[in-house]
Amino acid sequence: MIRCGIIGYGFLGRRLAKHLTGYRERGLKLTLLANSKGYLHVEDGLDIEGLMEEISTHPGFRASHPMEAIENGLADLLIVLTPTNVYNGEPGLTYIREALGRGIDVVTADKGPLVIAFRELTSLARSMGASLCYEATVGGGIPVFSLARHSLRGDRILSIRGILNGTTNYILTRMHFEGLTLDLALQEAQMMGLAERDPGLDLGGIDSACKVVILANALLGLDKKLEDVKVKGITQVTPDAILAAKELGMTIKLVGSVGDGKLSVAPRLVRLNHPLCVHGTLNAIQFKMEVMGDLTLIGRGAGESTVSALLSDIEWIISQRTSPREGH
Amino acid sequence: MRIRLTLGLTDRPGTLLKALEKIAMNGGNIISIIHSREALTGGYVPVSLSVEFPSHENFERAKMGIEESGIPVLSAESLERRIETVLIIGDLSVDRLERLFEGRGEIISLVFGGGKGSPYVRVMFSVSSEDRETLLSSLEELAERNNCLLVCEEA
Repeated sequence: MIRCGIIGYGFLGRRLAKHLTGYRERGLKLTLLANSKGYLHVEDGLDIEGLMEEISTHPGFRASHPMEAIENGLADLLIVLTPTNVYNGEPGLTYIREALGRGIDVVTADKGPLVIAFRELTSLARSMGASLCYEATVGGGIPVFSLARHSLRGDRILSIRGILNGTTNYILTRMHFEGLTLDLALQEAQMMGLAERDPGLDLGGIDSACKVVILANALLGLDKKLEDVKVKGITQVTPDAILAAKELGMTIKLVGSVGDGKLSVAPRLVRLNHPLCVHGTLNAIQFKMEVMGDLTLIGRGAGESTVSALLSDIEWIISQRTSPREGH
Repeated sequence: MRIRLTLGLTDRPGTLLKALEKIAMNGGNIISIIHSREALTGGYVPVSLSVEFPSHENFERAKMGIEESGIPVLSAESLERRIETVLIIGDLSVDRLERLFEGRGEIISLVFGGGKGSPYVRVMFSVSSEDRETLLSSLEELAERNNCLLVCEEA
């Protein structure tokens, strides 16, 4: 029986825990939940239905550093859902490093650790015979990495580009269809819970840039960091400029791309019939393949769809535990 | 499609004719030939030909034929012109913009809009494949120097 732990019990953690209810028969039980204040551990498996929203008030909660739970080997599979810090990767980086170093499999939705230390973490996982899965870090529920590594492995990816940030895509969509100003569209996105209170990382293109770095390192074999991405955000985009694009059958989208060793994020003029011209919170990712040509994937980039990516990684790890390992 | 082919010819009579035959056999129409005798390197005289081919396949077949007859193809680049649009969001003078295009691209239409509050310039232009990167880099520099945002077209 795989003992599964979740570090970072916010929106995503709570949604994921609910989905794990039926996994006991599949050989996986949720034994550990941790947040910044401490952790809750039940070796026989937590009663997920009876869990409170705030675990620190739950009977049995231990007000101690979550690292203690990793050091004491309280989980065989750690789901790291810590808040993203793109500048130092913490706190997720330390948890992932520690878990992999002990041979514990890791699934994460936190981009920070991968942007800071992709090569280090993947090498560590390989040397310890552990899996490091991160499908949820790019494109929400779109199966970017598993598709590329399994279904497309006979072909070669030449370049990747896409609409990688749902918040900015929602804002630009509202500006295009309703003529809203960026500020107004942002306020609307914040009211709907689609944008952070501090939307700087989204609007400045940094969130998209992080995803471009992960795609470059994971799928094109590069070794890039955030500072290698030429980044331009959408803060200067005006409704008049979008109208000028619209007059020519185009709109403005924030496009992230990697190809020929160059990484960039910038607002681009995109034709309304272009495969990447998706609206609202949708994400779109296009691979240019050597044999197949272009392949475009479209899907929801955040929220519940991210849980689908986490579950896909968890399923992969369950299958690896019951059959010989191969690269994910 | 128009291609500039640079061949490395040995300085012997009849070598160029062999290459021209392969081009003609594949429907290529030769626009110009430039011999660079002064640039003789490694026993080769670089010869640059501008050729109009009916399709990419014709060009590929001609190139293969030339190489198979022992003549190295030193480079092959498209001379096609493409029409693109860029938006420059911010305040930019028309003079600066027009000067930048001189000798590198042709402006097809220039629209200034947005008024004082949110000015923009929309430029539709034609540019050759070989000048495209330089032109876009210069536009980007110009935009940055003037605190403007350059929005290029996604292919």
